[in-house]
Amino acid sequence: MNIHINGQAYPLAHEARITVSAALALYFIESQQSTFAVALNGDFVSKDDYDKTFVSNGDSLDVLLPIQGG
Amino acid sequence: MTVSLNIYGQNLDSRLLIGSALYPSPHVMKQAILASGSQVVTLSLKRQNPSEQAGQQIWRYLQEIVTQTNGFLLPNTAGCKTAAEAVTLAKMSREIFKTDWLKLEVIGDDYNLQPDPIELINAAELLINADFKVLPYCTDDLVLCQRLYDLGCQVIMPWASPIGTGKGLMNPYNLETIRLRLPDATLILDAGIGKPSDACLAMEMGYDGVLLNSAVALADNPVLMAQAFSQALKAGEQGYVAGIMEQRQTAHPSTPTLDTPFWHQS
Repeated sequence: MNIHINGQAYPLAHEARITVSAALALYFIESQQSTFAVALNGDFVSKDDYDKTFVSNGDSLDVLLPIQGG
Repeated sequence: MTVSLNIYGQNLDSRLLIGSALYPSPHVMKQAILASGSQVVTLSLKRQNPSEQAGQQIWRYLQEIVTQTNGFLLPNTAGCKTAAEAVTLAKMSREIFKTDWLKLEVIGDDYNLQPDPIELINAAELLINADFKVLPYCTDDLVLCQRLYDLGCQVIMPWASPIGTGKGLMNPYNLETIRLRLPDATLILDAGIGKPSDACLAMEMGYDGVLLNSAVALADNPVLMAQAFSQALKAGEQGYVAGIMEQRQTAHPSTPTLDTPFWHQS
């Protein structure tokens, strides 16, 4: 299957679906050390739900961090 | 105008809200924000790879500023074009920043970054129902401001002019009318402020505060400009409280005319 994280494609050969936690592990290491928030297909996913929310083929994750703003 | 700026029950010493973007460096950003005396700093969320640590550095700076000022973070929804996008970003911000405050931006036009009034109203309603304390950035349309206030937005933030233009108060009549018609709303002039006298003028109108970013960040000396804005807001506030004289159509001599020397009766 293919998923997108912040617009970048990640092909996964074997899995039919993976948890948000597992998807984040593809993207960076030690996710809990960083300050970030996640949306799946445009819907907010709470940190409490990372292990019970699944990412499937064609899904898109947004991983957002603080930035300067006006 | 209340004795101090009140945002959803929180009294603040400064009436200036300041953005954290566009500064020459994070260090200058910190120094300028501290010099401004502001206790409310806006920030945002963007796609980033957490491994790159850039966002973490900014986040640390902003945390230091808030700690030093006993201040508050005000996350925005910059870049959102629909109510649905704004609600998602708001929830992500609340999880990270641990605040219900939200500067709600829903942009309807890319050319002048003008807020979309329909999506803004829809977003405000959804967010208030989700227990957010919404500070909507909107145009200087009286009825739009009234609708936002009626929905439960205690703070309304009409623009002075489009974001980043520095054009100042494009339509003082509209802004004065909003103040007149919404006497109990907390009104903060947001966006388009270019120079300290713009901020002073807003305060002289009875606005409760001013939110700006570019005017300080893009100054040759952001720290000095931050101080200038701080003083301009205080001057405008004092002028409003002191009671500004009525304009008159004809000249009136300031110096007493009685016993004027060399008087010639016409």
